[in-house]
Amino acid sequence: MAGDVLAEAFFQEGKYVQAFSSYGGAIRGTPVLTAIRVDDKPIRLRSNIDHPDAVVCFDSSLMGPALLEGSGPDTVVLLNSALEPEAFTEWGDLRVATIDGIAIAQKNGLGRIVNSAVLGAFARIMGAPSLDVLARVVYEVSPRKNEENAQCARDGYEMVKMMASTAVAE
Amino acid sequence: MSAVKLENPALDPALLQERRMLLKGNHAVSYGVMRCRPEVIAMYPITPQTPIVEKIADLALTGEIDAEIMTCESEHSAMSACITASLTGVRVFTASASQGLFLMHEMLHYASGARTPIVMPIVNRTLGSPWGFWPDQTDSLAQRDTGWIQFYTEGGQESLDMVIQAYKIAENPDVMLPAMVCHEAFYVSHALEPITVPSQADVDAYLPPFNPEHRLDVDRKESWGNVVTQEMFYRHRRDMGISMSHVPDLVTKADVEFAERFGRGYGGILEKYRCEDAEMYIVAFGAMCGTIREAVDQMREKNLPVGLLKIRLFRPFPVQAIQEAVAGIPRLVVMERNYSPGLGGILHQELKAALFGMENAPLVHGYLAGVGGVNVSVDRIEELTRKALAETPVVESVWV
Repeated sequence: MAGDVLAEAFFQEGKYVQAFSSYGGAIRGTPVLTAIRVDDKPIRLRSNIDHPDAVVCFDSSLMGPALLEGSGPDTVVLLNSALEPEAFTEWGDLRVATIDGIAIAQKNGLGRIVNSAVLGAFARIMGAPSLDVLARVVYEVSPRKNEENAQCARDGYEMVKMMASTAVAE
Repeated sequence: MSAVKLENPALDPALLQERRMLLKGNHAVSYGVMRCRPEVIAMYPITPQTPIVEKIADLALTGEIDAEIMTCESEHSAMSACITASLTGVRVFTASASQGLFLMHEMLHYASGARTPIVMPIVNRTLGSPWGFWPDQTDSLAQRDTGWIQFYTEGGQESLDMVIQAYKIAENPDVMLPAMVCHEAFYVSHALEPITVPSQADVDAYLPPFNPEHRLDVDRKESWGNVVTQEMFYRHRRDMGISMSHVPDLVTKADVEFAERFGRGYGGILEKYRCEDAEMYIVAFGAMCGTIREAVDQMREKNLPVGLLKIRLFRPFPVQAIQEAVAGIPRLVVMERNYSPGLGGILHQELKAALFGMENAPLVHGYLAGVGGVNVSVDRIEELTRKALAETPVVESVWV
């Protein structure tokens, strides 16, 4: 779902996107994966992403080698966690950012639904999509509590924590 | 089985215009079906086809699709419903995949024998056992002797456009055979992409209403399904073959007309990508073609003269077009995502048969690159291309 929202925001900014998710075999509560490509020209690749520019992890307990496969020194790793980014240096020389999605969700009355906050954080650290477009898309596609979700995206954008090495494209 | 016909609410005229939407490949198919105005849609869900029929149900609810929707108790029933509905002279749609397609198998033969031009997208998925949900074309390829026309597409836009073209080809009075439009699970079926949904007016102008010469109608007093003699069966099969032989030219024509009206074309029977002065063509169909384009670009930058030959029409197998396309090319390497145990890659085997007797026929390598949905990356394609250029081909398809 978060992947679809992010893809829609890039699409509304006029980008070509391709997003695909694991499905079918997934059991409720087990990890699922979504991959997104964004480009200025049509996307022809029909294969997995080998070297991601960013890895977004909605549950930091999943952090580990499997998640980081194909990541390099330039890959940004965004984790949903109350911890500081420096807490994840054990996994290697990574550009880590963290966002306390649950705190933001609870503050806005969304319980433990962290998607919107994490997407806001993503927009900040990657410099795209723009917060205005993202917040509007989050508002439009949320099944309910639309304004609360949009506010979570804005809060995520403001409250993301980055390591010094995690350069921010403003 | 239940049939639902909803009262049609007033439609926003904007919905009839061309629309640019972010859609999954399966939903693109549903919008393509919508523009074709089928009168009967018989459906049964199966992963990974289900989003097609879910979206059709949504579009029926909003009135954008005005068809009789039949929710059936099995795929066998869905195809049976399609056949009888089609015989009454209305345009019919269904979709399936994998295990569900196999439950339909008996009725697939009946559909082509009854000359019902049903259009059915197939979402290619691995077959149990063992269980999986991965892209693999063995499901639809195993239906290659059922008398259905088969197209293989690379992405959601091509699938949408081919549903429209498939009706035009299948319903041609010289054809009157059913057609499958096959795209792969995951990389196409569940991939969100920007999609152009053509305007209703343009599709109406391109695709005339279905109006067959013969139909089941109590006032006409025609029937279908009598017991026949050996000679009648012989003639019937021969006639089906004659109808199949008309398909390649009509595919070319349908694509040219489509490109003229909609500004998008796909090359018809097959497409050559960067094949100029090539030492070898990579021959493929389906989603892998997109990745191969990127690989060809990468190899061309390194002065490796290879190109892509994308096969779009698999049944009838376009022997003449393929022979013309590969004339003078030293080597072909097939990379495919299907497997017939005891035979090999199905495209590899059919391609070799198509070149039989051809003077100076190219050497043909067959690599089982993507069986079971394994990832085939750009670098992997380059690696396999270099492997083929360096070795002598063997008769068998090779596990790489």
